[in-house]
Amino acid sequence: MTDSIVEPFLKGNTGRNTRGILRLSILCLIAAAAIASRLFSVILDPWFNFRATKYLVANGFYDFWDWFDDRTWHPLGRVTGGTLYPGLMVTSGAIYHALRALTIPVDIRNICVLLAPGFSGLTAFATYLFTNEMSTSPSAGLLAAAFMGIAPGYISRSVAGSYDNEAIAIFLLVFTFYLWIKALKLGSAMWGALCALFYGYMVSAWGGYVFITNLIPLHVFVLVCMGRFSPRLYVSYCTWYSLGTLASMQIPFVGFLPIRSSEHMSALGVFGLLQLIGFVEFVRSGVPSKQFTTLLRGFVLAVFTIAFGGLVLLTVSGVIAPWTGRFYSLWDTGYAKIHIPIIASVSEHQPTAWPAFFFDLNLLIWLFPAGVYLCFLKLADEQVFVVVYAILASYFSGVMVRLMLTLTPIVCVAAALVLSHLLDTYLTMTSPDAPAEGASDATNGAAKKAIKQDGLRSMRSPLVGIYTTFSKGSVVSALTAYLLLFVLHCTWVTSNAYSSPSVVLASRMPDGSQHIIDDYREAYQWLRQNTKTDAKIMSWWDYGYQIGGMADRPTLVDNNTWNNTHIATVGKAMSSSEEVSYPIMRQHEVDYVLVVFGGLLGYSGDDINKFLWMVRIAEGIWPDEVKERDFFTERGEYRVDGGATETMKNSLMYKMSYYNYHTMFPAGQCQDRVRGVKMPDQGPVLNTLDEAFTSENWIIRIYKVKDLDNVGRNHTAAASFERGNKKKKTTKRRGPKVLRVE
Amino acid sequence: MHFLRGLLLSLLPVAALAAKNAPVDKFTKFQTKQLSSTPLKLDDAIYAQLTSAPRDYSSVILLTAMEDRFGCQLCREFQPEWDLLSKSWIKGDKMAESRLIFGTLDFINGKATFQSLGLQTAPVLLLFQPTTGPHANPEAGPSRFDFNNGAQSAEQVHRWIARQLADRPHPPVVRPINWTRGIAITTTILASITFLTVAWPYLLPILQNRNVWAAISLIAILLFTSGHMFNHIRKVPYVVSDGKGGVSYFAGGFSSQYGLETQIVAAMYGLLSFATISLALKVPRIADPKTQQIAVIVWGGIIFVMYSFLLSVFRIKNGGYPFWLPPFS
Repeated sequence: MTDSIVEPFLKGNTGRNTRGILRLSILCLIAAAAIASRLFSVILDPWFNFRATKYLVANGFYDFWDWFDDRTWHPLGRVTGGTLYPGLMVTSGAIYHALRALTIPVDIRNICVLLAPGFSGLTAFATYLFTNEMSTSPSAGLLAAAFMGIAPGYISRSVAGSYDNEAIAIFLLVFTFYLWIKALKLGSAMWGALCALFYGYMVSAWGGYVFITNLIPLHVFVLVCMGRFSPRLYVSYCTWYSLGTLASMQIPFVGFLPIRSSEHMSALGVFGLLQLIGFVEFVRSGVPSKQFTTLLRGFVLAVFTIAFGGLVLLTVSGVIAPWTGRFYSLWDTGYAKIHIPIIASVSEHQPTAWPAFFFDLNLLIWLFPAGVYLCFLKLADEQVFVVVYAILASYFSGVMVRLMLTLTPIVCVAAALVLSHLLDTYLTMTSPDAPAEGASDATNGAAKKAIKQDGLRSMRSPLVGIYTTFSKGSVVSALTAYLLLFVLHCTWVTSNAYSSPSVVLASRMPDGSQHIIDDYREAYQWLRQNTKTDAKIMSWWDYGYQIGGMADRPTLVDNNTWNNTHIATVGKAMSSSEEVSYPIMRQHEVDYVLVVFGGLLGYSGDDINKFLWMVRIAEGIWPDEVKERDFFTERGEYRVDGGATETMKNSLMYKMSYYNYHTMFPAGQCQDRVRGVKMPDQGPVLNTLDEAFTSENWIIRIYKVKDLDNVGRNHTAAASFERGNKKKKTTKRRGPKVLRVE
Repeated sequence: MHFLRGLLLSLLPVAALAAKNAPVDKFTKFQTKQLSSTPLKLDDAIYAQLTSAPRDYSSVILLTAMEDRFGCQLCREFQPEWDLLSKSWIKGDKMAESRLIFGTLDFINGKATFQSLGLQTAPVLLLFQPTTGPHANPEAGPSRFDFNNGAQSAEQVHRWIARQLADRPHPPVVRPINWTRGIAITTTILASITFLTVAWPYLLPILQNRNVWAAISLIAILLFTSGHMFNHIRKVPYVVSDGKGGVSYFAGGFSSQYGLETQIVAAMYGLLSFATISLALKVPRIADPKTQQIAVIVWGGIIFVMYSFLLSVFRIKNGGYPFWLPPFS
């Protein structure tokens, strides 16, 4: 009965419309789910972007472009407009003004908070479009969109409040790829131009645009190697390259890099190669002589060699900048550790262990190779793209944790391809008839031969279908169970791992209730209320943006690590003794020093654990004054307890971390819960700093830098006097006078 | 008598000259020795003489232990770099304007020195500043260069020495052109070109075979997604003993792993993928209903069991992970 009711909706024009509406509503639901799953907890995080956006909204675009920020990198300041990717701020500014124009009163803060979830909905839609270009199965796109919507690998960077470049960049990445495939398929200059437009947008939004800059030329190069040069390829690539390069050069931060730096050279090289091949193809179509084509081939080869040689020459002579360190370290994985500790020190730049892959992608990670294999079935131009993308992205994500973000889209697409293929095969109602014995052999043989020429091993026999309902039922139900498990996994990961922003720590009490540790905000609030507006705060660069945004105080260094020497200066001040550090702090007009200390709570991300990086970075600039070796004991251990080296005990960081710490404990029980060691009963002595503030759980400790002494003593003497010690001279007094008897 | 007196008189200025030139001689002596073979091979006596107090030259001395029985890998790795550094320095500074002596003291010849310095490890590089002359720095003891980060290149040590010896010439390190290597590379390139031209008709079908490319791509993806690059960069151990005589296959933490562990994981991923491919592509092409039924059950079962095992392995890595599937809980 139901059949007859439903039937009219599934046939003809009405059927198409029904399916269209269904698809649209499913997509909307996916987008809604993607947004909803990112709302577990809302705290605005990268404060710098928020500050920049506020500045943009308040002062307009042109002022923003010329913005010189004197509240960071004191005393140097930062040419912010020329050293950031403005895409994110401009996007939220545009949304803000659009909503204002529609008379919807909205706070810029709300836009910033909800930008990432909103764009994740768009990413799901872009993934749907992209996947539909890859597969004829209508379900593949929807599955891919659903995966993309909830995959933890992407949620990790796009929860509500994580207002970072990646929030919009992943949408742009996927959408640019979609437009590229579309342009390539149609050979259309319009789609190519659209692709270039979104590429330009991407360049303005995220430094990861280099991934596109290299992936598309690589794709084209592989196609050319496969002998698939076509006018379509020529038109789409040349349109994309010329317009896209012009667009990318409009961003001041990028400027002339696209024609001067090595990581953009592959795009230029492939562009040149295409011109040559296009020329040769053109001549060949007119001159059918075989000798002439051979000659032309030689000509192409020669030109290519000369061009490559010229490129090498230009690189060696320095006209073209060599690979920038960050990108170079992707290939030579040992490079960063030796030459650029500041890159190696960031936890996002560490290589990825396998649990991270599984954590971020769960079952998609093993569906992924199967999906890539599926692409080899047809291997049209767009499938080649998937294969190239898959290999390149899995390499990059293996080298750097943060590039997991570029891998996630292709994993979702590939997994959706294979899953939709499975479901299409096992969800058909019609079963084939059992074969008649022997009859099929002849036709089989013929078909086999036809396929054998150029096909995959698993495709050699003709397609039959699934016979029994039991097979269909078992496979489909197992898949459903896996998918449900995947949804549970994503929810669990999102709520547990990716929804606790770095400024608020959540922990569980013994009775299971959640306990919020809010030391960071407490400390920033203290700074905001108790210090002068232009009090300079010195801290390690990890906390620079937070101090600038939440406490609104100038900092010496921040997360935009553009000046290595300045960071090394802070590192030197932290790792030297007070006598050395104090002049440095005076010279930089430091008023307060902020350290993060996790010893009381067992919070492992504290400064003592990061301390060796400060030492290393400082050693890179002052190898004679700061030596990493001095922070290790004779036996090569990094210790903070009684057995710590003298250099360690005298370093400013150590003193600030453990100052007065022993007073928290009864004698003999002083303990550091991160390092798991017993601390000596006598704490360090600070002469040039005053303890100003310590947060509830001791995570943040703020010290005030003492002014010069009123009567011109040095601080050690003054502090010693304050403590009631007598002057050194008096202790040197000779013994009691005795009467000389002779 | 007269004759004798005359002889004595004629010898006097020579003797006086000799006496006057004695401290200078020390440098000239070492310098001439150095010109013929550098770095100087030292023993306890020469070391003491070289570093004795009134000296108007600097000296860099490598304290090393080259003999096999000490098993000092670092010493052997650094030795060629050290030789290269001293040779190019001496060659570049023929006039001895930097007044720098290079010396090597092996543990075999310098046990007493090692003891008196209290050295437990080798190699150690010491630099002695002059005590007299224009760059005199009599108070400072020898500066010490530690090899914390493994063997250093000649250039790195050169930079260190240059920093210590300010306002004196620092002849750069000149690496000799490695002819053997150049010839080897040329030969290899030519050989491979020859091989390619000869074997091209046979290679072409392989290069154009989709199965080969599919296999290569899948292997690469499996390697990378199972954390191979992590092993490569962090140089993790292949397996680790669990302290009870057995082998521990899985590292405890979320962000640590062993070599074998990643291979097990890659194999699991590979098996799961293969089973999925079989279900999706091979099974619908099986003409015989019975065989097909069995294949579905086998492949479906493999996926289920493997996935369950994978989840249980992941629970080892991440203690709080709440999900599991039946056979391995």
